[in-house]
Amino acid sequence: MKRFLIYSTKIFVITILVAVVLDGIYTAIFLQTKNRGKIEDVYNSTPKKFDVVFLGSSRANNHFVAQMFGDKGLKSFNYGMSGGHLFEASLLLKLMIERKYAIKNVILEADLNLSNEDEAEGISALFLPYIHNSEMIKEHFSTEDNFKELYYIPFYRYIKYGTKIGFREIFFGAINKKTNQLDNLGYHPLEKHKNGNMKNNIANLKPLPHNKYYEEIRSICKANNINFIAVMTPMCENVVGMNYFEKVKKAYPEIHNYENVVVENKYFSSCGHMTDEGAKMFTARIIKDFFNK
Amino acid sequence: MFFNSLAFAIFLPIVFFLYWFVFNKTKSTQNALLIVASYYFYSCWDWRFLFLLVFSTFLDYYTGIQIEKGTTERNRKFWFWLSVLTNLGFLGVFKYYNFFASSFAELLNNVGFKASPILLNVILPVGISFYTFHGLSYVIDIYYKRIKAEYNFVDYSLFVSYFPLLVAGPIERATHLLPQVKIKREFDLQMAKDGVCQIIWGLVKKVVIADTCATYANAIFDHYTAMNSFSLILGAIYFAFQIYGDFSGYSDIALGVSKLFSLDLLRNFNYPYFSRDIAEFWRRWHISLSSWFRDYLYIPLGGSKGGLWMKIRNTFIIFVVSGFWHGANWTYLAWGFINAIYFLPLLLSNSNRNNIDDVKISWNFDSVKVMLSILSTFLITCIAWVFFRAKTITDAILYLKRIVTNRDFGFQYLDNERYSYELLAMIGFFVLVEWNSRTRTEPLSGNKSTLKIALAIVAIMAFGTFSDYKEFIYFQF
Repeated sequence: MKRFLIYSTKIFVITILVAVVLDGIYTAIFLQTKNRGKIEDVYNSTPKKFDVVFLGSSRANNHFVAQMFGDKGLKSFNYGMSGGHLFEASLLLKLMIERKYAIKNVILEADLNLSNEDEAEGISALFLPYIHNSEMIKEHFSTEDNFKELYYIPFYRYIKYGTKIGFREIFFGAINKKTNQLDNLGYHPLEKHKNGNMKNNIANLKPLPHNKYYEEIRSICKANNINFIAVMTPMCENVVGMNYFEKVKKAYPEIHNYENVVVENKYFSSCGHMTDEGAKMFTARIIKDFFNK
Repeated sequence: MFFNSLAFAIFLPIVFFLYWFVFNKTKSTQNALLIVASYYFYSCWDWRFLFLLVFSTFLDYYTGIQIEKGTTERNRKFWFWLSVLTNLGFLGVFKYYNFFASSFAELLNNVGFKASPILLNVILPVGISFYTFHGLSYVIDIYYKRIKAEYNFVDYSLFVSYFPLLVAGPIERATHLLPQVKIKREFDLQMAKDGVCQIIWGLVKKVVIADTCATYANAIFDHYTAMNSFSLILGAIYFAFQIYGDFSGYSDIALGVSKLFSLDLLRNFNYPYFSRDIAEFWRRWHISLSSWFRDYLYIPLGGSKGGLWMKIRNTFIIFVVSGFWHGANWTYLAWGFINAIYFLPLLLSNSNRNNIDDVKISWNFDSVKVMLSILSTFLITCIAWVFFRAKTITDAILYLKRIVTNRDFGFQYLDNERYSYELLAMIGFFVLVEWNSRTRTEPLSGNKSTLKIALAIVAIMAFGTFSDYKEFIYFQF
């Protein structure tokens, strides 16, 4: 039995060693990846200057045409992340500040995402490779339920979020395979889909009165002399519970309601996401209203 | 509590410690601990079905004794049929009632009668097909005087409820397991080490092969109408490896865990995809079920005695019943029926026991023939698996039809955000590893075991699928 206990201990130690070594290798690869996504791009970047930076979910990613700002002489980049919540938007902004980005304006898409303060695991996982290298990321995740496992158990984060930061992503990162996430200055145009879902029921959504991460983004902007612009972006015609946007306006009077700027279904790829044509109409209006150009 | 869960990783060392360090004085204390652990393990699924398990155990224990004590044939027959019918009755109600009721109603509706069946709103008790078959084999063996009845209830309960085999087998025989639980177990270092290797290899099969294949197979089968020929072929291959990795991985873990307690379980898989014909495949796939049907259905029906037609009839019966054992769905019946058809040429040519030796390969023409036999057996197995995996028989037929009619062999991007061909290298490597270890239980023990274990752990951590968690397929049966 004693020999078996030694044998079991040996296997346990091997398991820990394998986890530590793999953790080190994976993290090292993530620390040098390029052209994979917005989070890696910001994390591994040097100071940059922007007139306008866009933040938010897919409703920012698919709606703010950064190139149109560029055409007006405003250097901008769309850092909206499909599937992301305000949790990730806030952390991304913190990383930009940490990397000494000089930003004049932040335009935040703040509407449906005000209804929760949860992390969006599929997106937040992309920050986790850097958790041991960034106090900012560690601090941001420290209130999450599974923080201890993610932080202290070697390789656990890569196992738990294998589909996002697992072997496949490591492999593509190691060979520097490019994604399209950074194309079009971060803006991702959508096409009209024949089978796009043109119905949406948001009747059960309620904007949180003091969304922690919204307030965080606002205060970061204030502390760094960044002009903060929060906007609600358009939805298609067939939405049940459209008074949600009025509730947002009531809870956050400073958020500009642009939900009605584009309404016709022909400008939508799905109910919450405009086509490239719709996004251009919307962006033109934003440029006109906030930058007078 | 899945074998590949954190809960089991905590449960197993605790039971191991208690078994060898606290309750190790007598076989009774060892058995009592394993019973408590097994009932706790089972109650983690759904404690309410624990009553069913205990009842089923008590029924077979009691009827077994009554059969043995029976002074007249009539009396023995009464207890025998009481046990068989009650066991099958439970299985019928929980597993098959809804299927029969709705199929019968559909039939009536089709011929003009209006019928709305009363369906039961119950979930299938996990492992019912397995522990029912344990109990049945025990009672049948006593009735035919092959074994003596067990008078110690704890020992008998352990035979039925032993946690490594409780929910998905292997289906044990009283002749094999009961004698082991009747004596005090001594710790066997080599057996325990082999057990650890088997557990780790089982995990590789489950999380690296089965669960990874599952994401691709699901993406292909669930959208087969949009898939091209190449993707559909890959889908069938991926499912073949999914179900093999899943079930044989589970069995490996079960056998490995049991070895830690110095209890040897029946081997359930013996590299089935290296079979040279379908008869050999069935001697290597889910061995404990195949041999159960052979011993308790095929042979009582007359087996191969009584001429060719009797043999064919009995073969069809056991395959269809075996298909139905897997679940109450026409697709499983079709799968069983197709396998029976595959068997037919072997029966007609009396060559179903041609390949009973080990597969050997060298650089000669015979080896080419062997490789082609293996490939063709795998191919027809994959075709049958399409019926097993598809939601309906129509889906399976359309799936296979599309392979032939689509004729596009390009790479497709799947719904799981992967390309259809991505797994081929991994499966190829897995096949090579299994091929090289086909004369052994698993590839990790033996020379350079530590290095192989380390590599297996790397594979589990780096290539395993954990975030898209999947249950063991055979738990649903």
